[in-house]
Amino acid sequence: MKEKKNTAIYFCNQTNGHSKSIILEDIKVFAREKLGVQVIWEEPDIPLIDPRAMADILQRYGIDRIILAGISPGFTKSFFSRALKLAGKKPENINLAIFKKSDSVLPDNTSYAKVALTCAYHHQNLDQYIKVEKKPLNSNTLVIGGGIAGIQASLEIANGNQKVYLVEKSPTIGGHMAMFDKTFPTLDCAACILTPKMVDVGQHSNIELMTYSEVVDVKGDVGNYTVSILQKARRVDLSTCIGCGTCSEKCPAKTASEFDANTTLRKAIYIPFPQAVPNKYLIDEEHCIYVQNNGKCGVCVKFCPVTDCIDLDAKDKVVEIEIGQIILATGFKVFDAGKMEQYAYGKLPNVLTSLELERLVNAAGPTGGNITGRSQDKKGNWVFLPENPVPDRFAIIHCIGSRDDNYNKYCSKVCCMYSLKLAHLIKEKLPEALVDEYFIDMRAFGKGYDEFYERIKEEGIHMIRGRTAKIEASGNALKLRSEDMLNDRLIEKNYDMVVLSVGLEANSDNSKLSSLLSVPLDENGWFMEKDSLTDNENTHTSGIAIAGLCQGPKDIPDTVAQASSAASSILQNIHNKNLYKQPEADVYEKIINQIMIQSRLKEEQI
Amino acid sequence: MRTRVDAKFKHELNKFGAEDWSHCFHCGNCTASCPLSENAALFPRKSLRSIQLGLKDKIISNPEPWLCYYCGDCSEKCPQGANPAELMKTLRRYLISVYDWTGLSRLFYTKHWFEIMVLLVFGIIVGVSLSIFNPNAIVYELNAAGGVKINEMFPVATIHLGDLIMAAFVSFFLISNILHMWYRVLLKPKISVPIYLYFTELFSLVYQFVSQSKFSKCDANGRKYWASHWLLMSGYTIMFVLVVVFLPFFQTETIYAWYEPQRLLGYYSTFGILFGLIYFSIGRIKKSTEKFKFSHLADWLFIILLFLTLLTGILVHFFRIYGLVEFTYYMYILHLAILVPMICIEVPFSKWSHLAYRPIAIYLFNLKKKAENRSYETNPELAVN
Repeated sequence: MKEKKNTAIYFCNQTNGHSKSIILEDIKVFAREKLGVQVIWEEPDIPLIDPRAMADILQRYGIDRIILAGISPGFTKSFFSRALKLAGKKPENINLAIFKKSDSVLPDNTSYAKVALTCAYHHQNLDQYIKVEKKPLNSNTLVIGGGIAGIQASLEIANGNQKVYLVEKSPTIGGHMAMFDKTFPTLDCAACILTPKMVDVGQHSNIELMTYSEVVDVKGDVGNYTVSILQKARRVDLSTCIGCGTCSEKCPAKTASEFDANTTLRKAIYIPFPQAVPNKYLIDEEHCIYVQNNGKCGVCVKFCPVTDCIDLDAKDKVVEIEIGQIILATGFKVFDAGKMEQYAYGKLPNVLTSLELERLVNAAGPTGGNITGRSQDKKGNWVFLPENPVPDRFAIIHCIGSRDDNYNKYCSKVCCMYSLKLAHLIKEKLPEALVDEYFIDMRAFGKGYDEFYERIKEEGIHMIRGRTAKIEASGNALKLRSEDMLNDRLIEKNYDMVVLSVGLEANSDNSKLSSLLSVPLDENGWFMEKDSLTDNENTHTSGIAIAGLCQGPKDIPDTVAQASSAASSILQNIHNKNLYKQPEADVYEKIINQIMIQSRLKEEQI
Repeated sequence: MRTRVDAKFKHELNKFGAEDWSHCFHCGNCTASCPLSENAALFPRKSLRSIQLGLKDKIISNPEPWLCYYCGDCSEKCPQGANPAELMKTLRRYLISVYDWTGLSRLFYTKHWFEIMVLLVFGIIVGVSLSIFNPNAIVYELNAAGGVKINEMFPVATIHLGDLIMAAFVSFFLISNILHMWYRVLLKPKISVPIYLYFTELFSLVYQFVSQSKFSKCDANGRKYWASHWLLMSGYTIMFVLVVVFLPFFQTETIYAWYEPQRLLGYYSTFGILFGLIYFSIGRIKKSTEKFKFSHLADWLFIILLFLTLLTGILVHFFRIYGLVEFTYYMYILHLAILVPMICIEVPFSKWSHLAYRPIAIYLFNLKKKAENRSYETNPELAVN
């Protein structure tokens, strides 16, 4: 046996995204107990200034060999080799344990670091242990969610000449973006950007669009899944419907329109909005008199000009598709403002959510783009009518349900900007109106965003720093109480319309998909990305990518960018024709044992 | 004005209770949701700001913590869990310790064992010296009605003298502390208050003390703090005045009929104190609302000592009526052994002092507001319509 060298480990603390996910304490314990290294230093403990001082330390501890560990430990190598030389040791006795993780079979960064350290200690080649097994890949892709993220990702993959199944829960694609009037900060018309893309999706030969459908089951392994999709009965034949609208005209049943954020009424047989894709009618079974009352209506069938187009007794069906990879683009839901009782949303008619105002200012909205107050109709529905009084004092309150320990702790990222946009839209339609924005912190963080904020201020919109405490009815007006921090006073002021800038929340059915696909959710219910800095379009399961809001709040440009990068990582895998195998649970222990055995064999040979 | 930043102030303050205030990100929700804050007193947020910045002098000269009656709305709605209401209470404790020039109050608030030890030792001294030096000791003769001859056991003149000495002791410290408060709030920051204001505002001082009308603004969402507190406060005050000033009319050999004022007032005070105590202790045990979520030792001592005093007092009353001589004797000593330390320690140096500080602070705040004559009329641009 050779004489054992006295080894020290030096951890270089290059703090960046990776090292946060490495638990250094774990690794130190591992080095002490498994490798038997007793001398462990960390970067701040011993400053790397004077090699002479370092040499003294090395002599004092009797160190002959140093393992430099960290994200990029090579930086310190020259220093230590000089110190070793000064201490009278061999300067080449330095090993590097590099924690920068490439694709590997190991499940997390800490175990990767331990393996790297073990290899460095035993003079082994790291690569031979962490090489990953690959599996053949089905080139079809499933995109779940047909909002702007799903649309963008589907188009990119389809344009890359690969087959895409786009599954959307609601009857049309388009998602929330289709509901918006304008986009910030350029004030482009949202529909003008989105609808051509929607039409592209509808007509693309590589995209199979499955609207009004949900993923119910996923079988198989990475690279080859069999997905069961529940196709809810539209009860109107997609291929024969000519979209004339006669059925909807004659339908006697009415309900609130989801697309108009419940600000208008639609029929039970309806088309979500005129630019919907597919642009065909469907029946909402919950409100259809025929479905609910066992066949006692059927007016739509009577008036439909196409024979056998409407089948009121159609049933849901489940189809199975074979796919290789999945993009999650399930989007978000807005915070339920009714939870915050102090703002009286749902009790006072003129307290609106931002999404409702978005529809109200839209030219295709309930009043054709004229801003009016809300009132109750004869049946008790709250509606915007053109004859209602035009409000002229507006308050917009930021951070509703965001940055609040009682609801959601995180910042929803888009509310400041869309509130500014809404303020502008109000001022554009009603130049004489008073518009006050109550904010906590103004977060105008992107390209052109802060300039937009300055522009809005110049338009005569008042910015008041202070979170509104409550809204009460005061005659016909709404009395709002807030602190005006920048002017050192309290404000109690009456408004005609108060807009609540509601935050964004994770969709509640994310948890179902999470368990089906074994993609973890974070504490707030968003899908967890592989790495928040450098790999935020992929999940820990290879072949499953995420795009858009379902990963966390973001605005449209970020959503589109993420969707494109998700598509590119899918295309990458298709191009490589195979996929990494899912790591096994005990792979880490196996590798460590393997290294130990190999190094013992090597020592015996010597 | 020169402003001094005290970086260690927050550590000093944390000893008095709340620590969550550093979570505050200044949204202003607390100030806006407070039913008592006004343009001249934007609390609690500005106090939090002063603490975060370490503006110790500003905190000491600020009477705003006394304007808060702790309804808990601000803590409930706080988006950061910074507990502004508890902070205001912590500030009141801190201010009591600042106004108290002896430094005892600070010791009592920050060293719990010290406060308990002092109370115990004081109580034992009172109890032992009463049982040893009482010249009359146990008198077994009963009076005509079959009751205990209390005045032969404890001559009313002696007890009354003791009462007056105690009252003088307490008043000396309380009044000197109130003068210190006045110095801190108005004199040191050089706020010149016209003399006539001291007289014109006197009415509001008396009115606030008697009615506590500000506290009634905190009663919303089914809260009944004002009434419970008022019963406790009025009962306590009446009892205090009866015992300290009118003891000769109170502790007599004649046992009055139930409708005589001596007895009616006594019963009212007992009921008021008991009701208030039960209401507040149930709240503190259950931690049912924001107000009761955090209990400092001072809060519990306040309740426990008062409860024990009341209990022993009630027992003395009944033992005496039913002629239980020995019981009356020892219960009376126990009563005094609890009451005397409670009054001497708690009233000038601990939570009891808020009885005096709060109305005085409101009075000083009104003086300051009028003296500075800050016109806080709302900006016409944002005026209330």
